[in-house]
Amino acid sequence: MTAVYVALAAPFLAALLGLLGGRRWPGLVVPVAVGGTTAALVAASVLGGRVVLDAPLSLRVQLADVPTGGPPFGIDLRADGLAAMVSVAVCVVALCVQVYSTAYLKGDPRYSSYAALVSLFTAAMLLVVFADDLMVLLVGWEVMGVCSYFLIGHHWEQEAARAGAVKAFVVTRLGDVGFLFGIFALVRAVGSFSIDEVVRSGVGTERTATVATLLLLCGVVGKSAQFPLHTWLPDAMAGPTPISALIHAATMVAAGIYLVVRLFDVFLQAPTTLAVMAVIACITMLGGALAALGQDDIKRVLAYSTVSQLAYMLAALSVGSAVAANFHLLTHAAFKALLFLAAGSVIHAVGTNLMPDMGGLRRLMPVTFLTMTVGLAALAGLPPFAGFFSKEAVLGAAEETARHGNGVAAAWTGWLVLVVGLITVAVTAAYVTRLWLMTFLGDRRGAAAAHESGPAMRWPLLALAVPSVLLGIVGLRDGWLPRWATRGDAGEVAQASLHVGLATSGVSVLLAVAGAAAMWLAWRRNPAADPTAALRARPAFERAFWVDEMYDRGVVGPVRGMARAVLRADDEVVTGAVRGTGRGATGLGRLVSLSQQGNVQTYLTGLLAGVLLLALGVVTLT
Amino acid sequence: MRELLLPLLLAVPLVGSLVLLVAPPRRAERLAAPFGTGVALVTFVVAVVAAATFPETDVPWVPSLGLRLHLGIDGISAPLVLLTSGLTALCMAYLLRIRPEAGRLRALVGLLLLLEVGMLGTFVALDLLLFFVFFEVVLVPMWLVIAQWGDDSVPGGRRRAADVFILFTLLGSVVMLLGILLVGLEAGTFDMVELAERQGAGLSRGVQVLAFLALGLGFAVKTPMWPLHTWLPDAHTAAPTVGSVLLAGVLLKMGTYGFVRIALPIVPEGAEVVAPWLGALAVVGIVYGSLACLAQRDLKRLIAFSSIGHMGFVLLGISTLTPVGVNGALYANIAHGLITGLLFFLVGAIKDRHHTAQIEVLGGGLYERMPRLGALLAFGAVASVGLPGLAGFWGEMLVLLGAFDPADPLPRGYYLVLMAVAGVGVVLTTTYFVRLLRRVTQGTSFQAWRDAVLLRDASPHELLVWAPVVVLVLVLGLWPGWLLDASDPVVRALLGGAP
Amino acid sequence: MPLLMPVLLAGLLFCIGVYGVLARRNAILVLMSVELMLNAVNINLVAFDVWLRDELLAGQVFTLFVITIAAAEVGLGLAIVLLVFRNRATSSLDEMTELREDAA
Repeated sequence: MTAVYVALAAPFLAALLGLLGGRRWPGLVVPVAVGGTTAALVAASVLGGRVVLDAPLSLRVQLADVPTGGPPFGIDLRADGLAAMVSVAVCVVALCVQVYSTAYLKGDPRYSSYAALVSLFTAAMLLVVFADDLMVLLVGWEVMGVCSYFLIGHHWEQEAARAGAVKAFVVTRLGDVGFLFGIFALVRAVGSFSIDEVVRSGVGTERTATVATLLLLCGVVGKSAQFPLHTWLPDAMAGPTPISALIHAATMVAAGIYLVVRLFDVFLQAPTTLAVMAVIACITMLGGALAALGQDDIKRVLAYSTVSQLAYMLAALSVGSAVAANFHLLTHAAFKALLFLAAGSVIHAVGTNLMPDMGGLRRLMPVTFLTMTVGLAALAGLPPFAGFFSKEAVLGAAEETARHGNGVAAAWTGWLVLVVGLITVAVTAAYVTRLWLMTFLGDRRGAAAAHESGPAMRWPLLALAVPSVLLGIVGLRDGWLPRWATRGDAGEVAQASLHVGLATSGVSVLLAVAGAAAMWLAWRRNPAADPTAALRARPAFERAFWVDEMYDRGVVGPVRGMARAVLRADDEVVTGAVRGTGRGATGLGRLVSLSQQGNVQTYLTGLLAGVLLLALGVVTLT
Repeated sequence: MRELLLPLLLAVPLVGSLVLLVAPPRRAERLAAPFGTGVALVTFVVAVVAAATFPETDVPWVPSLGLRLHLGIDGISAPLVLLTSGLTALCMAYLLRIRPEAGRLRALVGLLLLLEVGMLGTFVALDLLLFFVFFEVVLVPMWLVIAQWGDDSVPGGRRRAADVFILFTLLGSVVMLLGILLVGLEAGTFDMVELAERQGAGLSRGVQVLAFLALGLGFAVKTPMWPLHTWLPDAHTAAPTVGSVLLAGVLLKMGTYGFVRIALPIVPEGAEVVAPWLGALAVVGIVYGSLACLAQRDLKRLIAFSSIGHMGFVLLGISTLTPVGVNGALYANIAHGLITGLLFFLVGAIKDRHHTAQIEVLGGGLYERMPRLGALLAFGAVASVGLPGLAGFWGEMLVLLGAFDPADPLPRGYYLVLMAVAGVGVVLTTTYFVRLLRRVTQGTSFQAWRDAVLLRDASPHELLVWAPVVVLVLVLGLWPGWLLDASDPVVRALLGGAP
Repeated sequence: MPLLMPVLLAGLLFCIGVYGVLARRNAILVLMSVELMLNAVNINLVAFDVWLRDELLAGQVFTLFVITIAAAEVGLGLAIVLLVFRNRATSSLDEMTELREDAA
């Protein structure tokens, strides 16, 4: 268990030191940040090693018990195969990003706070991974959100960064409120905040499970940028590219998927939720892929691609296969981080994000070209790269559910996921090819001179290219994946296996090739222009089906209007009421003062009348 | 010996205030701030000792009326006493270097010490009328602080702001006094401990409801509860920095403390009847406060409205009548005191430097001009939003959890709706604070501010004064157990359940 | 003598006195009417004292008290009216309206 403590404490301390002393001792910033992340990686690897050697792993510790007046929550941590796998992935990506950032953000005046926040983020993500208590998980979850806010807004001189940071924070917070309510529902049903307790005892009725999981799904949808809370991810690209790689590709957005996997037993009790998940996943999958087809900004293409790939993971969960989702999570973390870092390398060299201004970089940046091609091939799902195997796992699970059902998820969800998944494979291959062609092939379109990036930016690319190639094959080895992707209970290990249907794989490869070929042919006609320029639906793709505009008009506008109305109401109505009471009191006083005529005899008359009344009263009432 | 501790706690600031009154004017003016800091620190030390040893004092006061000088401290008043004495000490330390524009430091320090007596007395009093006396003691010093040392940036000027504050609170207090008298005369005793143990036995249902309404009105004005909140924005905006900090940090706590200490245990049936209304008004306050902040143009006013939202959460927690909810309310109380105290310190510093708190005039770029102040403002904003890991989260979370599962006689569906609306309030809170940061701290500065030579970042003295608050916010965010361990048994006892 | 007669007389005198106090403008007339009311009360006191055959003669003793105090009071009252007359050349009560609340 010490490995877990080290993994959590090292980045947190690095963050604290960086935030407090970063300005005073700038020389220490990089060593502290990189050192903290390295320590976490070592600790996570130790855990991973234990899984490899004597799996399955299942450790729990309860650090403290906090009374609330109701069900108490505790600072509980757990380490099992799943946690080990994800933590290793997180630490690897985090380390690559830290190293990469030393070159990418060289000379940045606020580098110390940046590095410290990245360390804090790493610590928070690891807290989510190792949490065995819903409250602890929530703490890590939200701290990640705030780090994301600060990091997206790192270049706060730019309007786009400010806007993107605000949007990311507010949209995820909206999901988080639902998430909190879901936690409440679980706690009320189970009587404890402990995840172990929740999973073991399950939730009583299907109705409670459905309510709880639907609410939890709000948080997942927000954090993992699924429809309808996906709008923040493309705008978050205004942040520095290494951040996009770490937070918005590999880790934070995967936290939602991780949560569902952790609580999967509860989700399996609620088929309605699974159906909802399937529908959301399919809409997001295809919508994200189509939107990626219409973007000019290379980072936005990758952002929509992330949305789409996360939907694959959600779809896998919705057909009942946590293992497939985990597998895709792992491979996606590798190749998406690679893609973002490579894109960063390109952006750094060329000075612009826009693909129309790129082109012909194949000769000028060979390492970047090679590694990015590997990443893109993995994304498209071409064998033998990692993405192919994990995507096939997802489609295979869908096919399995479609044909035989799996007891919980309905068969129609399997068919839906399978069909939409296959279509998306084609679209994915199309936008991947488009990106590849416009960025690297053809003639150089932009004016800036481009050259290969320095070693600090190259080595992380090469490091991430390796798992992008090999991870898929590793996952197929018998018995390996179950060890990593489960909680360590014997029953679950036996159940976790991948179904890879030959027919489905064949169809998907064909579709991928078809999509790529179609794009290549379109490009060949005019290498200098955008291959999709002729598409009639392109404006819809570019504006991502105008979801943002709908939010603006439907939510943001009315809220702003209500705010102004409240302010006006407060100034006029409520203050007016206060003033009114004052004026009323004065008016009443003036009315009463009319009886003060100044004439003594009038007063005496009143006196006499009063005395008579009193005497009458005394006589009649006693 | 232990019985003298709480009277000592009250006597030290009182004597300090009197000494300042009789001291020779010129020397007193020079030494006022150091003297005040010393007195406040001594008070803080006494408070720490008291919080550790839980003493109790019980001597007859007015035997013919059955009133006793009953002072005591327990798990829910100890944090408040520490908060009060701590914030006062920090305010005095703040005054060491930063003089108010209106001068007359001796009078200000004397009034703040008097204020401290009233605040501390409210939290340690265990007799209803004694509580009322201390409750009222804070009014006149605060009125003077706002009226004399405030600024005229509010419509009607600082006099009007102070007048509205004192008249509103007095109105509430008068009604509260009627409630106290009703309870005391019906039950035959004014002793809070005795009445809390009885849990309303011997008081008819009608009497209980009436008493809760009367007491509740007085506390609600102080809290403040919508729609009795109008005094707050003007009072906070007009008050000087130290006045705002104490007003937001401590005075607002007195109302909710009164609810938990007096209204809930002594008239529980009344609480059951009125709680749904209380919850509804609390939630209206949350949403109303958040919406008003979203369109706000004045920085200090924005923080003031945010207080209305936060205290709405505290009231919601109280209205759930469960240990979870009330624990959450008390936690949110302390957290709000610290966080909003810090925010008012920061905003006061910004206002003093720029001589304005209007957001449009301030412009952006605070990170650029004054990075430390900007970073602290971001920290305060993030804490106020209720981010887990900082103090504000636990209170809000426990309040929402309490609303999810309120006490048995209360309608659950109704409270679920309240909880959902409060959740929307959380998102709105996030939105306006993030908007604040975007407008004020991010972006680029106006040229005028960039040229101003006298605009300096937070000085070491200011950082030293604010550091304890920052540390406490962090500590209370990471170790909620400390406060919850202290308050949970007391709350359970007050709500009548088995501990 | 039956009780009715002095009581009737006292009541009559009292009513005349009340009329004088409430309806006459001249301040001196008002004072005289007050005297009339007081004397009516005196008659009442003596009559009831005799009728009740009080051992302590409380009624009659009280009457002596009232006569004395009335005398003192009317002395002061006349002095005040005289001073007012000297300052304002009028003794009409309708014109002494300092206690009036001004409309402003």
